[in-house]
Amino acid sequence: MVYLDAQIRHRFEGHRWSLPAKVYARPLELFTGQQLAHGQLNYELKQLGYRWVNQAKAPGQVQKTATGIAIYSRGFRFADGDQASRLAQVNIANDKVQALRQLNGQSIAVLRLEPQLVGGIYPAHNEDRELIQLDDLPNGFIETLLAVEDRQYYQHYGVSPWGIARAMWANLKAGAIVQGGSTLTQQLVKNFYLTDQQTLWRKLVEAPMALLLNLHYSKDEVLEVYLNEVFVGQAGKRAIHGFGLASRFYFGQPVSELRLHQVALLVGLVKGPSYYNPQRHPKRAKQRRNLVLSVLAQQGLISESQKQQYQALPLDLSTAQKVSRYPAYMDVVRQQLQQHYPASALSSHGLRIFTSLDPWIQHQSDLAMRGQVKQLQKQHEGLESLQGALVVSQRDSGELLALVGDKDGGYAGHNWALDKTRQVGSLLKPVVHLSALESGRYHLMSAVDDAPIAVPQADGSVWKPQNYDLTSHGVVPMYQALAKSYNQANVRLGLDVGVKRVVSQLYQLGAEGNIPAYPSVLLGAVEMSPLNVNQVYQTIAGNGFYSPLTLVRQVTEANGVLLSHFPYAVRQAASNESVYLLQQEMRKVATAGTARGVYRYLPKQQQVAAKTGTTNDQRDSWFSGFSGQYVATTWLGREDAKPTPLTGASGALKVWGELMKNLAYTPYQDIKPQSVDYYYLNPKTGKAMPSRCADGVWLPIQKPLAPVATKQCGY
Amino acid sequence: MNVTNKLAAVGRLPLLAVVMFMGACAGPGYGPIVQELSVTARVSERLSPTGQNDTGVAQPVVAPASAVVPKLQPQVQTPAVTITAQPQTSQIQAANVVQVQPVEQVKPAAILSASAITAVVLPASDQRVVEQLLAEADQLKAKGKVTQAVIQLQRAQRIAPREPKVYARLAALQLSLGEASRAEQLALKGLTLVPQQNNYQYYFWKLIAASRSHLGDVSGESKAISEAAKYK
Repeated sequence: MVYLDAQIRHRFEGHRWSLPAKVYARPLELFTGQQLAHGQLNYELKQLGYRWVNQAKAPGQVQKTATGIAIYSRGFRFADGDQASRLAQVNIANDKVQALRQLNGQSIAVLRLEPQLVGGIYPAHNEDRELIQLDDLPNGFIETLLAVEDRQYYQHYGVSPWGIARAMWANLKAGAIVQGGSTLTQQLVKNFYLTDQQTLWRKLVEAPMALLLNLHYSKDEVLEVYLNEVFVGQAGKRAIHGFGLASRFYFGQPVSELRLHQVALLVGLVKGPSYYNPQRHPKRAKQRRNLVLSVLAQQGLISESQKQQYQALPLDLSTAQKVSRYPAYMDVVRQQLQQHYPASALSSHGLRIFTSLDPWIQHQSDLAMRGQVKQLQKQHEGLESLQGALVVSQRDSGELLALVGDKDGGYAGHNWALDKTRQVGSLLKPVVHLSALESGRYHLMSAVDDAPIAVPQADGSVWKPQNYDLTSHGVVPMYQALAKSYNQANVRLGLDVGVKRVVSQLYQLGAEGNIPAYPSVLLGAVEMSPLNVNQVYQTIAGNGFYSPLTLVRQVTEANGVLLSHFPYAVRQAASNESVYLLQQEMRKVATAGTARGVYRYLPKQQQVAAKTGTTNDQRDSWFSGFSGQYVATTWLGREDAKPTPLTGASGALKVWGELMKNLAYTPYQDIKPQSVDYYYLNPKTGKAMPSRCADGVWLPIQKPLAPVATKQCGY
Repeated sequence: MNVTNKLAAVGRLPLLAVVMFMGACAGPGYGPIVQELSVTARVSERLSPTGQNDTGVAQPVVAPASAVVPKLQPQVQTPAVTITAQPQTSQIQAANVVQVQPVEQVKPAAILSASAITAVVLPASDQRVVEQLLAEADQLKAKGKVTQAVIQLQRAQRIAPREPKVYARLAALQLSLGEASRAEQLALKGLTLVPQQNNYQYYFWKLIAASRSHLGDVSGESKAISEAAKYK
């Protein structure tokens, strides 16, 4: 007895549960002037379990208004403090937030919605729960629970003699133990203290332990633990414990927002979570729910007409995508966290991890990859083993917004975005151009010879790179060499600048791994992961400032106390002037070069800077580039690295274009450095001509390298 | 994955393994479900904000050798949190992660140099939300809640990634924390956003001068001072 007593107190008063760390996506922030993608707001509200009603009166509700929508946000404890729940009128036109007001008309600077919970880091036994307190329960919850499971709960001593007698009778009849404890206290004892095996010993100590529990703790305390302990479902390997998580899991809503028919379903589930599983057996679940509602009516807790009203309602299960839809992203979150926190802390202390995952962009990335890969497989033979990866980051902050680790976003196996390195091909040419510009000897109109070239190698062999179309294009302006991705011209350019310099510049931009300074590097004979490629392009997009790709913003304890955060930091990797010029070159790649296919997806006025990449025998199809707000890299290739029919433009570009098309459009803000001027140039002579002349091109040139001006056209 | 990188990864494995083992033992006996040590080590190089040299984010790293093996700088400070109490944890702390300390320590000398610049009046952002977040950050900073202030500023940066005022505030805050190298780089990035705006040019160059002074970079400081003078 003393032993049992000690056991009871120890477990009840100590660290009751090991709580998995919760991983949150970035919160959606609404503010005046914000451009949303088409369909984004509805999607995000659905994922957050908001309910559309005629008049929003409580947190978690949203209504249509004449000018947009009214959102009653839920309160949330962020790493930087509490955000109160509030009702906001959001005026929206053309997917742009026009105004944001309180009910009294006062304008609101920013409305931060609560972040979507996107996953957890679970302990080995895979128990998951979300702690709740009695106060969190909606009206009628306790009454329903007790009506069904334990009517005498507040009167009995932890065991109910009548219940025991009934169970014994049932067991005798069956000749075995078929019925468990009857009171909530006993159920709790069984789940909380004793193993699941139906042994006699367990049966023997269950009742005394329930009595002891009842003796030491108040009814409310015991009930609260029960609410959090009860097993209510299974999601794959994950065991759903407690009504807090059950509510999220089945309805996508916090338990406080549940209506009575939903409460009835949850309570009904206790009897047999898998038998009554509403997702798998909706009919059975509805019958059970309606039975619970009938019990409530029988006991006079609701009227007969209320019963009928509730029984007529649908199950109202959440239609949002379930958690853990972001395996590739969660992979990296886990791996980054494991550098800072011991595994046990992550799986048991209920830490809250705030990430930069953008649920909308992740969703669109998955769709773009899946859809385009399917289409390519239809169009071409031999692409059964086609794989793909997609990385999206925010242009200036360097935060990772989305990650697709394989062709169907489901990810069962390798994470192709970070585990695998492939040759990057022409994706490296911008780095050659940046190095040339940094040397101070080149400008965008500099003449580069595209004649055939033979480079003696260290091993005595001779390297003869060829153009994709196997023809030479004579002397071309430097920007053309990039736009058309001419191999011979780029090799000459790189050799003149120096391979070592190019490799060093590549490291500056954030490339990792051992990159030997062979001439073949100039054409991208370097293996990199899509993630690392994106890092390099991120630096180019960030005006030449390297900022490491990050995805964890903050970590807090369960109670909100901030444990760590990741400060934004940058390091200049190239001069602003050179990077600006390179960005303009890459814009030309998109408007008039190998990447111009993106405008099959994007409106003409949307400016992007990008580069295609194709490796030898078309083993890899790459595309990387940036818009005003996003940097994205896509890769496609066969698992066995055999040749494909795809170039960068006919493969990876499509995924990239499809994705960008569905993201919010933010204008590309070009900021011209003082040290360059724009000229209208004749591409043949490199001279500045009057703007009335035909066939000229506007390009920025460094002041010290200002072109010769001519008054005649064609010279 | 090339050879050098592999070596780097392997070199770190035992430590990582030990930490994880310790972690697993310290808890109630549960291990995490997904774990592949070699991957962890590789990813740590890619994603941790550690691909940087000693000063965090300062001078360009040129030599391939140093770039290949990003140093994991232990920011050795025992976190004031029970969860990270294992001493081993601090050894794999990445340089860029700031473990939040209960008391924010601010170096008085750095504050002085930063406050001389904050006298410069910068134009209001055309986005109200940005002004509001900056004001919140200022209030938090005034209360000594510097970390929370940084979080608010980063929030503003995500909303308006090309707003120079956000960079001005971030840089000034880093300088006041004595993170002069970080401040200098943020100000350099800020400069690229405001080629035509004299008041910002002046502000950023002054801040760069103060940062370089803090770093003991005498010639860099005088260069920054003369740049600032052009925009006075």
